[in-house]
Amino acid sequence: MRLQTKERFIGFLLVLPAFLVLIFLYVYPLIRAIWTSFLKDNHLTWANYGKVFEIYSRDVLYSVVMTTGVVLVVLVLSILLASYLRFKEWRFLDLMYRLPLFIPFLIVGHAMRIFLAPHGTLNNLLTRILRVEELPGFSRSWIGLLWTFVWVMTPYAALIVLGAFRALDSSYIEAARNLGASKAKVVFTVIMPMCKPSIMVAAILTFVRTISSLTIPVMIGPNTPNMITVDMMFRINFFNDWGVANALGVVSYLIVVVLAVYYLRFMATERGGIKG
Amino acid sequence: MKKFLLILVVVMASIFVFAQSDIPVKVTLTMMVAGDQNMVDFFQYEIAPEFEKLYPNVKIKVVGTGPGDAGSQQIIQQLQLEKDSGKEKWAIDVVVIHETGAVWAIERGLIRQYTDFLTAKRLAIRNTDEMALGVNVDGYVMPMFHSQTALAYNPRFVKDPPKSYAELVEWVKKNPRKFGYNGIKGGMSGVAFVFGWVYWKSKNTDILINGPYDKKYEEDWPQIFAELKEFNKYVTMTAGNAGTLDALNRGEIWMGPVWVDMFYTWMREGRMDPNIRIILLDPGMPGQPMHFAIPTKAANADYALKLIEFVSSPKIQAKYIVERFNWYPAIGDDFVAPYLTKEVLDRIYKDVKQAELLKYGKPMPLLPYKQDMQEAYEKWVEK
Repeated sequence: MRLQTKERFIGFLLVLPAFLVLIFLYVYPLIRAIWTSFLKDNHLTWANYGKVFEIYSRDVLYSVVMTTGVVLVVLVLSILLASYLRFKEWRFLDLMYRLPLFIPFLIVGHAMRIFLAPHGTLNNLLTRILRVEELPGFSRSWIGLLWTFVWVMTPYAALIVLGAFRALDSSYIEAARNLGASKAKVVFTVIMPMCKPSIMVAAILTFVRTISSLTIPVMIGPNTPNMITVDMMFRINFFNDWGVANALGVVSYLIVVVLAVYYLRFMATERGGIKG
Repeated sequence: MKKFLLILVVVMASIFVFAQSDIPVKVTLTMMVAGDQNMVDFFQYEIAPEFEKLYPNVKIKVVGTGPGDAGSQQIIQQLQLEKDSGKEKWAIDVVVIHETGAVWAIERGLIRQYTDFLTAKRLAIRNTDEMALGVNVDGYVMPMFHSQTALAYNPRFVKDPPKSYAELVEWVKKNPRKFGYNGIKGGMSGVAFVFGWVYWKSKNTDILINGPYDKKYEEDWPQIFAELKEFNKYVTMTAGNAGTLDALNRGEIWMGPVWVDMFYTWMREGRMDPNIRIILLDPGMPGQPMHFAIPTKAANADYALKLIEFVSSPKIQAKYIVERFNWYPAIGDDFVAPYLTKEVLDRIYKDVKQAELLKYGKPMPLLPYKQDMQEAYEKWVEK
């Protein structure tokens, strides 16, 4: 009995550092953020959320739609890439697709800004080839933003998806192939269903990373509508207004929480099945 | 005997040690600077070496916090942390902040009154050292320089540039998307352009600049911003202060509001098409100073004061503020001019003459109006 208490205590001590980090760096700031989002001039109020609704409702919607779009495109690309590399060894592609992993967001933002500007590198090239006077630029538009997000996020997602695809026992695939299934069919009916949890993880990580990104929307995004993060920055920098900024933060928490709940439910039903 | 010898040695040693005490102790002067990289470079590479030559015991440490009110905001947060910690000596000795930052800092009791001890204060001829955004800041701040927004245009495409906001509105209709600015979230040149627009349209411009604050003076704003929204249909939105300059360089836009100092610095460094010119629009465009301030409990306030005195002196203002960095001086031009060559004077006042600067260079609006304008833009223009 005594020993058991002691063991428990040691167990508790072992968990303590991680637990403390979680409390101080995550739980405490979270509670504080939620608390601050209800404060205006030191009074508890819904006013901050009123302002979010009044001024930023369109930006919230835009953020969700943009992020969902990014996730969809990234998933399609990374599944295509992973399927290809699952069947065919191509070291060059295997290295190249990881390249964006090592380039900081800030650099990507600046590079894309120059690349996609109306008189930027891309258009200079195109106008010369196509012999037209002017082409519209994609920087400062939703297309440029989507393009850059996809460029940055795909390698992460592909890394996860490809890892799962490669970990899959080849005998399943060979069995399907022997029975005459085409490669595409194998991907859709065998590999993807078996790797669903990993694909979900890739999707959720992409979603969270996209919706919380600030650098890229600031540098490439259109002036209006904006991602939530840009609005938060604006509230703090120009108005010193932490209330509304935190209210916006809470809204983006809620968006992510919806996803997290869905993910946990999904994992619960999947558990006991095939591990990704 | 032995004891006596020991005492003698101790006495001798202490005399030796204490005799040195007029050699000043080593001091690290920590400064936090809001603003673009050029501000940090200014202190790190130009001012620090000169000042350290003058006071060899001092070492200057410069921390930059980035452009715009955001930079000032970061400094305020740092000072607030120092204050909240309850320490007797704060780790920050000098700050360089925007007017907004100065107002915030005074409200929170983060900076102290010091300019009574500053001789250079008497050389300041504009009233920026007394009023900032309609708030009395007398005693708390000394300007480091003045900066101004202006309309830059490319004479290759624009032979006869508009001279007022009214003419600009006509111009953009004839040349759609050839005027560009950076909205209000990407830097102060766009913000200043919007303020200038409100100054032009509002019936209460003087009140917006000098106060008092009352919502009733904002009655005509919905109309003003609706017209700005209409105007925006004909313009290009650029990415930040630098984005406007870039777009001008690449010929994507032919005109756009810029900071004069940034413009001339880029030009001097060969990063700007040298043919591009600037003009101030009637009835006026805003500019702002950057302010020196000393935190309430700065550990080395004495050297902070010496540094501010040093940078505000006519010689340094001439050599660095005007000649190297293309800012307008913090002190009267007459005090600076003797230290400048004619060539430099001509360059800085080439397009915008001094008289125009005094006539069309407007201060930023009162802080609450300023914030209301920015929010109004979000509400009525962006949506």
